[in-house]
Parts: sequence; C-alpha cells; structure tokens
Amino acid sequence: MTDTTIQPAGTSELPATRKPTKIVQRRWGLLLVVTAAPHSNDVITSAMRLAQAVLDEGKTVRMWACGYANMLTQKAHGDTKLINTRDPEGFYPSSAHIVREMLAANPGKFAWIACTACSAERGATDHIAEVRFRSPLRFVSTIEAADQTVFIGGA
Amino acid sequence: MGDKPSRYLLIESQGNWAGPNAGRFLGDASALAKSGHQVSVFLVQDGVFAAVNDSVPEIATLAELGATVWADDFSTAQRALPARSLSPHVKLVGMDSVAKLLMSDGCRAVWH
Repeated sequence: MTDTTIQPAGTSELPATRKPTKIVQRRWGLLLVVTAAPHSNDVITSAMRLAQAVLDEGKTVRMWACGYANMLTQKAHGDTKLINTRDPEGFYPSSAHIVREMLAANPGKFAWIACTACSAERGATDHIAEVRFRSPLRFVSTIEAADQTVFIGGA
Repeated sequence: MGDKPSRYLLIESQGNWAGPNAGRFLGDASALAKSGHQVSVFLVQDGVFAAVNDSVPEIATLAELGATVWADDFSTAQRALPARSLSPHVKLVGMDSVAKLLMSDGCRAVWH
C-alpha cells in the first residue's frame, strides 16, 4: 500500500499530499521607501513622523531602507548619540535606538527592511537584529504587497 | 490617468531655490487640478518656504483652482516661520492629516 490515491477520471482533486501549497502574501498598509542619505536634510525625521502618524491611524507600515539610509540601523550607533556637552545628562537616542523602539512598540505592525545590495555595497551589513534583509529583486513584490507606496528619493 | 478624477497628494520637500524642479512640481499640481482632479499639496521640510506670503505665485494659483495647500507645522516651527508669515492660502497641519489622506481610498501620492 502506498499513500498515492488514484483519482477517478474527470476529477481534478489532488490528494492532500500532492496539493500545491498556496502562498498568501501578507498585505501591508504603507510601504515607505527611503533612499535619501540621512545626513543630507531632515528627510528621515519626516519619514519617521509619517510612519508614526500612519501607525496611529491603525494601519501597518513597512520601511524599506535603500542607499545610505541603511546606515540608520547599524549596531555601531549604540543607543545614544555622542554626548551633548551642554546637556551631559540628557538622553539623545541614536537612529538605531529609535527604530528598535518603534519596532518594539508596534509588533507585527511596523517592519524595517534593509536592502541587501545597498548594505553590502557600503559595508553596512551589521544591522540591529530587528531589521530584516531583503534582496532588491523582491522590491516589486514588496510594492505589490502594500496598499500604498511612497517613494522618497534622493540617494 | 484616464477620465475619472483621481485624488492626488503631492508632497514638496524641496526649497523653491533648489532648482527648477520645485516650481515644476507645483506646476504639475496645477495641471492636475485644472484637469479636474482633487489635488492636495503638502509642503514639508524646506518646501515650507514656498508657503511664505506670496513668495511662490503657484500657491495662489493652486488655491484658485480649488487645490488644498498644506504646510507642515513641525517644519515651519523648525524654521522659525510663524503662522502670520504664511500665505492665506496655506493651512498649517500635522502629519496626522497627511496620514489620513494618504491612506484614504484611491489616493495617489508623489514625494518630491
């Protein structure tokens, strides 16, 4: 005896063991693609504020970091910026810390993707553990999985 | 684009001195509004300088065409631009207003 079941002629039903697995891609509310160099202006502040505002609307948000935006989540940043000598007791979180806090505050609703090619090109592959790598070959499918995409250029 | 009117959210983050593209982007917004589309322009970062009084004539044109022109409250505060210095055609809003419009059905967004 084997598990193979011969289907009667004219039926298309496959045995459970041979049924193709249907992969359902999860949908996200907003895909925010950031390619701009984070030090060039206040674009990352705007992007993070928009992401938080959309999260506050009860929607889900995915950030895709391209180009030098991949520097934002490097472990080397630690949790704080360099000390502010005019406010030595003040806490000034690093970008990596802010991203980690947003991810922790919005489990399953907020995600941060690091582009593998952009990270590798810049030797910036040591991201915080919460960040997920994704190949640029999956960029289109990532867009397709979002209800809304905003592309912030300027790399 | 088709004949059906669409809802557009055009986000201008460049200063009006940054090059001709900033003016062209607002011109594109006017063209869409003239074509009967629902257009909202959100000025953010250095883009808020276009909201100062009548420094950029496209703002008044957009208002005449029925487009909504918003300026980011955070960006104006960061640049010490009080509300009284802004064009009467511009409304100060927070990112929550942008999020609502962006995530509404049929909204097409472009960030410049």
